[in-house]
Amino acid sequence: MVGKNKSSRGQMKTKKLKISNLHIPKSNKAQMKIQQTAFMLLAITIFFVLVGLFVLIFKVSSIKDTATILQEDNAMLLVSKLANSPEFSCGTAYGTLKADCVDADKVMALKENIQAYEGFWGVSSMEIRRIYPKGENIICSTINYPNCDIINVKSGKSTEYGIGVSNFVSLCRKELIEGYSYNKCELAEFIVSYEPVS
Amino acid sequence: MNNKGYLQISFGWLFAIIVGAVIIFLAIYFVTKMINTENTIQSAKTSKEIGILLNPLETGFESATSTFIRLPEETRIYNECNNIGKFGTQGIQTKQKGIGKKWTEVATEVSFQNKYLFSEAYIQGKTFYIFSKPFEFPFKVADLMYITPASENYCFIKKDIPDNIENEISDLDQANLKLEGTCSEDNIKICFKDSNCDIYVNYNVGYVEKQNDKMYFETDALMYAAIFSDKLTYECQLKRLMQRIEQLSNLYIDKENLIALRCDSNLGDDLSILSSSASNLEDSNALNIVYNNAQDLEYQNRGNCRLW
Repeated sequence: MVGKNKSSRGQMKTKKLKISNLHIPKSNKAQMKIQQTAFMLLAITIFFVLVGLFVLIFKVSSIKDTATILQEDNAMLLVSKLANSPEFSCGTAYGTLKADCVDADKVMALKENIQAYEGFWGVSSMEIRRIYPKGENIICSTINYPNCDIINVKSGKSTEYGIGVSNFVSLCRKELIEGYSYNKCELAEFIVSYEPVS
Repeated sequence: MNNKGYLQISFGWLFAIIVGAVIIFLAIYFVTKMINTENTIQSAKTSKEIGILLNPLETGFESATSTFIRLPEETRIYNECNNIGKFGTQGIQTKQKGIGKKWTEVATEVSFQNKYLFSEAYIQGKTFYIFSKPFEFPFKVADLMYITPASENYCFIKKDIPDNIENEISDLDQANLKLEGTCSEDNIKICFKDSNCDIYVNYNVGYVEKQNDKMYFETDALMYAAIFSDKLTYECQLKRLMQRIEQLSNLYIDKENLIALRCDSNLGDDLSILSSSASNLEDSNALNIVYNNAQDLEYQNRGNCRLW
C-alpha cells in the first residue's frame, strides 16, 4: 500500500508537470528566457545610461562652477593691480611715481581704441567711477570729458548679469587754469566685472 | 549527449557572456575617457590658476618682486608663446604625474594676452619661484615674469657683476638665486667676466650667451629674461613686447592729441618712430635701434607735460 501510494503520488506530480508543459512549448520557453535576459540587459543599460547622464550633468555643472570661480579669482586679483598696468597707470606724468593711480587722459584714449584690447585682460567690463568729489553720474565721452564722472572703458555683452569687483584708486588728469597746466587728482572706484559661466 | 568532450553552454549563458563582455568593455572605455577628461580639466584648471596667480605680481613702486607657487603634484609647465594678433599670446600648458607616476598625456593650453613669462621651453617641479620686474622702454611696457623650478639653483659669480645686479639678487632673497659664496657645485653658474660658465653675460655689449645661443638685451629686465629662458621663448616674447610697445605708443599719441589744448608735450613724431621701429624688429640683434629711439623719447619726455 505504501509503495502504491508513493508511486501514485509520483504519477500525480508527473501529470502536473506534463500539464504545464503542454501549455508552453519548449521553443517558446527558450524564447521567454531570451526575452527575460534581453529585458534585463536593456534595464541594466538604461540604468547605466541614466547614471552616466547624471554624472555628466554633475561634471558639466562642476566645470562651469570651477570656470566661474576662476573668473572671479581673476577679476579680484586683477582689479587690485590693474591700476598699475601700463594702459592705466599714471607713471610719473603727475609728479612722482604713484601706485594705484589711474591716468584719466590715457584711459579716455584707451576707451576710444578698446577694440584693439579685446580679450586682453580677460574680463567682461571695466568702469572707472569718480566718487569724490561726488558728481551727477555723467558718463564720459570725448565731447564732455573731463566734465563727467563715469568712464566706461569696456562694456560687457550683458552688463545686467556681470558681477563686479572694485578697488579704490586716484584718478588724475591735466587741467588748465588761466593758461597754466596743473595736475588734478580725485578719488575713484575701479570696477571690473566678469560674467558667470551659464 | 554522449559526446562528453563538447562544452555544453546554453544559449542563455552564451548571450549573457557576450553582452556582459560588451558592457565591461564599454565601462572600461568610458572610465578611461572620463579619466582623460578629468586630466584635461585638471590641466586646464592648473594652467589657468597659474596665470591668475601671476596677476598680483604686477609691480607698482617696486623694482622687482618675488613669490613662489607650490603645486600638489609634480608638474611640468610648458611655456608657449606666439605672435599672432595685436599682442600675441602667452600660453601655459601643464602636465601632472597621474596614476603610476606617469605624466598625463593631455595638456590643454590656456592663453593670456597680458602676460610675459620667461622660462625654458618647459620646467618641471612641485615648487616654482617667480620674480617679476617692470620693463620700461621708455614707458612701462609690462611686468616680465621669470619662472624657475625650486630644484634649479642659479649661482651669480661675483667677479665683475654690476653692483645693481648684485644688490637686486641679494634683496630679492629668492631661495634658488644665489650669489657666489653660497652656491654648490651643481648650480647653474652665471658669469659676467669668464665665458666658461653655463651662462655668460656680457653686460657692456648687452648679450647673454647660453648653449651657444646669443640673445641680445637692453635694460636689466631683458637681461634676466635672456638668462632664464631659451632663445626661442626669449625672441618670441621680445617680439610680443615690441607689439605692446607699438600699441602703447599709439595710445600715447592719442593721449597727446586729447590733452593738446591743456598741455602740449609734442612727442607725436618720436612716438610714431618708436612704434614703427618696434613693429619692424625681426630679432634681438637689432634691439639697439629700438632702444636708441626709446632713449630719445625718454629725453624728450622731461618737460612739464609728461605723457608717462
